[in-house]
Amino acid sequence: MDRMNQSETERCGNQPASEPRVGVYICRCGGNISDVVDTDHVAEVCKLIPGVTTAKVHTFMCSDPGQQTIIDDIRQEKLDRVVVASCSPFLHELTFRGAVMRGKLNAYLYEHVNIREQCSWAHKHDPRGATAKAIALISAAVGKVRHSRPLEKIRLANNQRALIVGGGPAGMKAAADLAACGLSVLLVERSNRLGGKLASPQRMFPTGAASGEILSKLESDMRSTGRVEVLLSSEITRVGGFVGNFDVTIHGPLGPSGSMTDTNVSFGAIIMATGFQPYVPHDGEFLFGRHPAVMTTVALQEALAAAPEGKMLKVNGHEIRRVAFIHCVGSRQVEGVHQPGTDGRLNKHCSRVCCTTVLNQALQIRSRFADTRVYDLYQDIRAYGRGHEQYYTDASRAGVVFFRYHGDEPPAVTAEKDASLHIRVKDYLSWGETLEIEVDLLVLAVGMTPGPCEQIVDQLKLPRGEDGFLQEIHPKLRPVEISVNGVLLAGTAQAPMNLQETLAAAGAAAVKARSMLVKQHVELNPYVAQVDANLCEGLGQCVAECQYDGALKLIETSRNGRTVKMAEVNPGLCVGCGACVAVCPNRAINVNGWRLDQYDEMVDGLVRELVPA
Amino acid sequence: MAPEGFTPKILVLATEACAYPGADAVGKAHLEYGANVYVFRVPSPVLFPEDFYLRAYAHGVDGILIAACGSDCPYRGAYDRLAARIDRLTGRMKAGGLEIGRIRLTAICTVCIAAYLKEVRQLDEALRKLGPVNRQLAAELQQRVRQEMRDTAAQQRGLLVGMTA
Repeated sequence: MDRMNQSETERCGNQPASEPRVGVYICRCGGNISDVVDTDHVAEVCKLIPGVTTAKVHTFMCSDPGQQTIIDDIRQEKLDRVVVASCSPFLHELTFRGAVMRGKLNAYLYEHVNIREQCSWAHKHDPRGATAKAIALISAAVGKVRHSRPLEKIRLANNQRALIVGGGPAGMKAAADLAACGLSVLLVERSNRLGGKLASPQRMFPTGAASGEILSKLESDMRSTGRVEVLLSSEITRVGGFVGNFDVTIHGPLGPSGSMTDTNVSFGAIIMATGFQPYVPHDGEFLFGRHPAVMTTVALQEALAAAPEGKMLKVNGHEIRRVAFIHCVGSRQVEGVHQPGTDGRLNKHCSRVCCTTVLNQALQIRSRFADTRVYDLYQDIRAYGRGHEQYYTDASRAGVVFFRYHGDEPPAVTAEKDASLHIRVKDYLSWGETLEIEVDLLVLAVGMTPGPCEQIVDQLKLPRGEDGFLQEIHPKLRPVEISVNGVLLAGTAQAPMNLQETLAAAGAAAVKARSMLVKQHVELNPYVAQVDANLCEGLGQCVAECQYDGALKLIETSRNGRTVKMAEVNPGLCVGCGACVAVCPNRAINVNGWRLDQYDEMVDGLVRELVPA
Repeated sequence: MAPEGFTPKILVLATEACAYPGADAVGKAHLEYGANVYVFRVPSPVLFPEDFYLRAYAHGVDGILIAACGSDCPYRGAYDRLAARIDRLTGRMKAGGLEIGRIRLTAICTVCIAAYLKEVRQLDEALRKLGPVNRQLAAELQQRVRQEMRDTAAQQRGLLVGMTA
């Protein structure tokens, strides 16, 4: 770690000699606040809070003129602390920290007070109470900010190399794009070959291209860079650390002997390209696993690749005169209708790609095997991508017969004596008629479930969505980032996607990873524990309390010529939870930005009577 | 018995990841609760030692709601440690004669609007019955807890010296 920087922070940590000068800014939020809270009165009373030298009201503090007021006052009024009372800190805390910085003041000498979501909006019918509360909250924030210390972001050396987990199309694309930028990449694949689900031969929608062609292009793009190292039959067994310094153990056939060994490697960023698993129908679901004529779309894909040309489709030597598809198997499951998986969860999500997959397969059957009839039982046809709708039109023209069922009334499948299957379906294309068909093959259009990546998810605490897939920070604004800084999502590890979307996501993840990896240093929030060397006695209670390996340890140091023990924080590993803070009898350890003495000051500010009752 | 027209001061320690956005959600939905409820944002309430709570009572806070993340806690082991600490604290309050109805530990998620409203209303009702906090008693308890922590430290210091000797 960058030791110089820590000592700099400590040096800045001394209280300024003179009494701080705090500027308080109260936002009307265009009436959102001032319709309930008497903002002018708040400003008048705030001038009575010890340390406050300026208190002003503005209609929109977040506007350019609002922010400029702060910047001007820092200079003219010689402010050295700023408090803004406005909306939730989640909206504009960073905005005002930025303004404070532009006013040449340390960004952490700023406090944000929430008087909209937690005051004016929540106490609409109590304007007097809301006004008094706004004053009390500001008074608490002033108490805190008076004891704020300047902080600097923590700078650590960046390990400018990427780890890609998964050697499917997403992993290969991300590796190729990153390596093309000149970065070094290690791609780890659990199986003994590259390509993931794309490795089995198939005709891809919407272009009709062969999967093998796409795969070899992806691989040559990746290999030609000369900067991607590929490890097959290898797994990540341990992962720790943080952005810029992920510390990973890989178990695989490494070294010249090729025997299975553990190797530790460091990376700056990790791209999760762990992909999906096709849903496996449970035993007996539409007779799956109990009748030889029931298979999934995945199995049909292989059967189609192997099938001899002719008038009729042949699967395992059997002539298929009639084939039916059932959509949404393992997707869009309904409570009370479908059986939950082993984890007790229903797959409520739409897997998105199965509709066009079915249409693609149905069309292939109709165009290659003129005498095989095709029935398609669906809930909704979601042929959403460019060119996908054409598959539906073409399938209709090619004589595919469609049935539409409701999700809570799935078709009923029974076995016939002659090895064929009987399907009963309540069909809403004929206004709810119950229709019956007999088929020689039933194909279940299985959806996507999350690929295996438990180890990494557990160790890095990656969040999953309700559907079990890895969850991005924001579906629109930050679609390939996850809440653990430095970890990125590529492809179907995140959600069901088709190949086109998978490669787009992988490209986006590569660009995001690149923007992190090109930096010599990474910057971390300064909200980590810090030890006060003057108070620490080296008792070690904080170390015993800490749950993060290496974040806190006892070191021997020299004080007044004597060797003494003292706690030391590794700011790169400390997460700033504060578990250590509560157990120190000397209050010698604190979380920067959230120190205990500041909370005490907040309590005192809250209960302070500014105007005689 | 509570004096006529007594309004308790309620402090909510709300986690940045869950309960604080949860409290925001209540305001966004324009649902109302008493203006005597004040929210402090915290990374995790696990950072507060027992004496912090007692000091707050001693300074005139009548009730404290610890609105944590529960099982969604982003910090390893923090919630269990917090729960154990609050257990010890309530034990001390009980033994020292301070009403344990003045403290509540709960989990509030980012969209737990109803749970948030229920918790603050119930605490408010309970405090209105209890009346103002006995600040003198709380201050004495706080001093006692601080002293105990210092004693433990002194004992440990002795052990450490013993080890090096």
